[in-house]
Formats: sequence, structure tokens, C-alpha cells
Amino acid sequence: MLFRPDARPSLLPPLLIWLGAFALVMLLDTRIDLAAQAMLMLLASALTALWLPPGAALGLNCAAMLGFDFFFVPPRAGLGPHLHEHVVLIGATLGVSGLAAVLTSRLRAQVGAAEAHAREAEQLQRFGEALRASQAAAGRPDPALLRDTLAPLAQARDAAAPAAVVLLVLRATLPATDDDGGAEWLGSPDADARTGLWMCSRRAIAFGPGTGRYEELPAFYLPLRGLLGARGAALLPVDPQAGPEPLARLRAQAQALCDQMGQALERAEAERAAQAARADAQAQALRNTLLAAIAHDFRTPLATILGAASALQGEAGAPERLDAAARQRLAASIVEEARGLARISDNTLQFARLDGQAAALHLDWESAEELVGAALHRQRGRSEERRVKARVEPGLPLLRCDAALIHQLLDNLIDNALKHAEGSAVEVRARRDAEQLLIAVRDRGPGVPPAERERVFEPYERGAAARARRGSGVGLALCRAIAEAHGGSLCYRARSHGGAAFELRLAVTEPPQ
Amino acid sequence: MSLSVLLVEDERELRATLAEALRVEGFTVHTAASLAEGLALVEHAAPDLVLLDLGLPDGDGETLLAAVRRERSIPLLVISARDHDGGKVRLLDAGADDYLVKPFSIGELLARMRVALRHRGRHMVAAHTRYEQGGLHVDLSAHRVSLDGAEVHLTPTEFKLLARLVRSAGQVVTHRTLLADVWGGDCTEQTHYLRLYMAQLRAKLEAEPADPKLLLTEPGVGYRLA
Repeated sequence: MLFRPDARPSLLPPLLIWLGAFALVMLLDTRIDLAAQAMLMLLASALTALWLPPGAALGLNCAAMLGFDFFFVPPRAGLGPHLHEHVVLIGATLGVSGLAAVLTSRLRAQVGAAEAHAREAEQLQRFGEALRASQAAAGRPDPALLRDTLAPLAQARDAAAPAAVVLLVLRATLPATDDDGGAEWLGSPDADARTGLWMCSRRAIAFGPGTGRYEELPAFYLPLRGLLGARGAALLPVDPQAGPEPLARLRAQAQALCDQMGQALERAEAERAAQAARADAQAQALRNTLLAAIAHDFRTPLATILGAASALQGEAGAPERLDAAARQRLAASIVEEARGLARISDNTLQFARLDGQAAALHLDWESAEELVGAALHRQRGRSEERRVKARVEPGLPLLRCDAALIHQLLDNLIDNALKHAEGSAVEVRARRDAEQLLIAVRDRGPGVPPAERERVFEPYERGAAARARRGSGVGLALCRAIAEAHGGSLCYRARSHGGAAFELRLAVTEPPQ
Repeated sequence: MSLSVLLVEDERELRATLAEALRVEGFTVHTAASLAEGLALVEHAAPDLVLLDLGLPDGDGETLLAAVRRERSIPLLVISARDHDGGKVRLLDAGADDYLVKPFSIGELLARMRVALRHRGRHMVAAHTRYEQGGLHVDLSAHRVSLDGAEVHLTPTEFKLLARLVRSAGQVVTHRTLLADVWGGDCTEQTHYLRLYMAQLRAKLEAEPADPKLLLTEPGVGYRLA
């Protein structure tokens, strides 16, 4: 306690010590000799120096020793004839007490410096932790942390003008001009502060008292230095009258904080860049896979079309080579394949749209009966085959959905069933199942093998059988994406007596009255 | 005299193919590759039907649609690669008779053209008040509806809805138009009324309501009476 730098000099303990010492000397006056008494005085004077600054200690001890000399050293109540002895005694006592006082104050100063260092180090460490925490939480160190840490260090020149910290944090790389949009500002700088902060960011050196640059400024301009340059700058108001040493210490600490901020910002930016590069590479790889798959899906029907069309074209020179039925078959395959291409491009486009972030659904109240009816009508328009039947439970509630998307989903499922279950009847069934509306497209074809039942919903995955024939490409993946965009589900179910069932489930909500 | 068709399409291959196919069907075909050309031909060639592509080099086909609708009541079919329901509805509301999304087959195009022509032009007056198709007879002036010879009783709203579709038979009538004409202008968002009354109409007029032959649904756009 006695050696803490903030221990206040106090006159009470030294006075008590002296009173005690005099009492002791008086008490033992006849039992100990003068030398022992003088030693007691010496001890008292050394002790009092612990509480007092060197000057005060010397003054008090000088007075006390004169008193001692006057009262106790013979001849009592007066300064005796042996002046030189008294001078030696008083001088030695004062010397010891002065030494003690100087040592004590130096010790105090050292303790004070050590404590200040520890405080500064702790502040830096705590600031570093706060930066890491904010980086982890927000993906970027929060510049407000630096402002809040610097704020208590700011010195107001007078009480009327409150000292405020101002920060400039660059958004990206240093802009060519001092465009205030290119930086994030914390605090409200005036025009001078703006110019100073921009200049400090550009040159990455500090301005202000003790820096050798713009010494007269009542503030430090400190760059937020990273390894590659400044990421911004901070303005810290200071009192130029505070003296060079405290200012230098303050600047070192503030600069250390600013550099920590600068490095954290730089690190965050590097991390972001690395992440973006990784994501970019991933997207590129995915895009390549998708493009390869799409190209494959388009190329197969194109090959058929080109083959059939060129056969018909070549036939013009030699009319006997193809009979009417063969020509009809070729034309039919061109039409069929072109339709397939149209479907693939519709599906791929729609899938890309739904796969994007927020695809806007055009929700309206729709009737399952109408949606099923429209899908059947579309199928009828495409082929003469009458393999598809509808069974819609009467009195179904209305659905809140995007009609065009659900139509596309049903159309794909029906087309899929017709393609994969050749010769089998296809049934579209709609019924209520508790709080859901169930629309199922069912066939009596070969079904999907157990190992592939989830994979068929992946884009560009097809069942083994399908791979040998035609691909639905993104068809089923799109259907599932549509179902999920509506908060519903699309699942495959194997039917008990053979065949596939694709079941769409959508939640039933109460329509308005 | 054969009917004349104005084909406005900027894609050369498609224009040539469509023009050829239409000539085979006996139409007189005028072709235009730009909006300006199309506007000039609407004036001078007096076509009986217009096929209009939307994305033209010198402007949007909607300008031509507006010009045609200001002056004539000839059928106009939009052919476009833009498959977007919002756009479809807007064009239909602006007076297009039908909307075909590319790619489409010639057969489909001809069928839509036949329907549009059947309900326009010289038969227009008759088409407005009488409708006969697949056993369904509707006589709007006599307020009578019969199916396979048997009288069908419709509620007043059902009849108004059917009458509105009969007046535009063959054409897509958008939800908004139906709601405004049958329920009134402040009901254009109440699609659920429409669903319920269409279901009732189908239950009364269709053999298989879930597989309709007459009261057809255009998902997300409107209804069409075949």
C-alpha cells in the first residue's frame, strides 16, 4: 500500500511516529544513553520518509531533530557548546531520511510504470479478444470497438468542447479520391478532420504532437496500419500541454490499438477474399457439371432430329427410297424429340429460377380439379393416346399455390409416367389426407429400384433403366423443388401390386369467405 | 377469296416456315420482320388475322397490338418465347385473342387460328348469343342452357359466368376480366369465387369434371370455352 504510485502523501503517520519516538526517548531518558536515543531518532526519521515526498520529509525531520537536540541533548533546553557533534548527528539523520524518501519515491514510480504497462497490455489483449469475438459473430471486426476503447483515452482541451474520437474505416481498397462514400465514418468529423483522416490513411503515418508532423494539432491522427498499408485512420483529441512524455506514452498505446484494428480488418478482408475464391471455384465446378449434363440432355434428341431430318432431306433426290410410312415415322420422331427438347429447356430454366434465392411464387387460390384437368388436357393435345385417367375426390378444399408451377409439376410427372411405364394406364388422383391435399400420379410400370428412389430427385441423376432410354434431366428435381417452394413435399412410393406412385402433398389452408 | 394473315416475326427461319405452312393451308400471307413494317401492313393489307411476335428489332409487339385494337376487331394471336404468366395476362387483357409460347406445332397454331376466326368476323353476332359444342347448347337471348337435349338449371351467377365465356368462346378470358364482368370491378382479386362457381358449372355441364372437354383451364391465366 505504501509503495503504490497512487498512495497520497500524509502528514499524520509521520507526526505520530515522531510523537511516539519522543515519548519513548522521554520514557527511557535515564536508562539509555544519548547514542541509543539518537538511533531511535534515526529510525523515526527513516520511517517518516515512507509517507512523505523527499522535500517534506527533510523539512519535518529537520524540525524534529532540532527539537530533539534542544530538549534531550545536554545541555538540555538549549543548543550546547558541542555544535559540530550536533551538526553531524542532524546531518546523518537527515541524510538517512532523505535517502529513504528518495528510494521510496523511486520505488513508487517504478511500481506505477509497471502497473501502467500491465494496464496497457491488458487493454491491448482485451481489445484483441473483442475484435476476434466480433469477427466471429459478424464476419468483420467492428470498428465501434476501437472507438469505444479510444474514447476514454481522449483528452478534452477544455470542458466546453467535449473530446470525441473520429474513425475513418476504408470499405475496400483506397479510393482514388477522398470520396466519403468509399469509407465508413464513426463520429462526426469537421472538414479539417476529414482531410486529416484521409491524408493519414493515404500516407499511413501518424500526425500530431510528438510525431514531428503537424505538432501544433490538438489531436493525434493515427493510421490503422495493417501489413499492406493503412485500412483507415483514427482521430484522438489530446491536450498538447500534457507534456511530451505522457503524450508519447498515450500515442504509443493508441497506435498499438489502431494497428490491432488495422491488422484485424486486413485479416478479415483476406479471409473474405479467400472464401469468395473458394465459393467461386465451387460454383464454377458445379456450373461445369451442370453444363455438361445439360449439353448431354440436349444433344441426344438433337442427334435424332438431325438424323431424321437429313434422311427426309436426302430423300428428295431419290423418292423411292422411303415409303410414306417411313416418312411419317421420321417426321413423327422429329416432332417427338423437338417436344422433348422444349420440355428440357422449360424444366432447366424453371429449375434455375427456383434454385435461385427468392423465387417469387404467384400464389392464388386454385382448385385441384382444375389443375389436374389442365394437365390432362395438355397431355391430350400432345398425343392421341388415352392412357391417362383422373380421379378427383369431390368437394376438395382450394389450394394456395402457383398454378403455373403446379401445372408444370403435374405435366412432368404424367409425362414421366407415360414414358417409363409403357403400355400401362396412368392415374392422377387427388384426395384429402388429414390436413394435406394429396395429388398422386400412379402407374403400373416397372417402378424405381429401391437403391435409386431418392437419387431420381437429384438433378441429372436418372434410374439405370432411364439411363438406357431417355433422361428426365432436371424433371423430377424440378418437381421436388416446386413442391418444396410451396412448403409441401414430393415423394416416391412403390405400389403394392407393382408400379410407381409419385405423391405430392400440399398443406390445406382455410380460404377466405 | 382466301383469308389473309399478317405474320409479324423477326426470326427469318421461323417466318419462312410459318408462312409456308400457312400458304399450304390456303391463307394469303403477308410477312413483316419489324414493328414499322407490321404497322404499315395493318393499314394497307387489311389482314383478317394477325400473328404477332413480341420481341421485334425496332420495338415491342405490344405497340402493334394497341394499334390494331384501336382500329379493328380482327383476331390477333401473340406468339412469343416469353413464357411468363404475368405478361400473358396483360396481353390478353389488352385485347390479344390468344397467346402461344414458342415452340409450338403448326397443328396447334392452326387450331388456335380456326377458333379465333370462328368466333370473329362474319359469325360474330351469332357467336355472341348462341353456342353449340359437344352436346351443350346455350342460347343467351332465350336464357336457356341444355346438355344433350335436357334443360340444365343454372343459378343466376353461374349463368352470368357461362354467358361471359360464351361471348368470348374459343378465347382465353382472364380471371380479372371474368371477376370484373360477373361480380363487379371491386372483386377482381377474389379468385376463390371463380374457382367455386367454375367447379359448379363443370359439375353440371361436364361428363368428367376432372377431365373437362368444354370449360378449359389455362393455369395461372384464366378460362377458355372450347
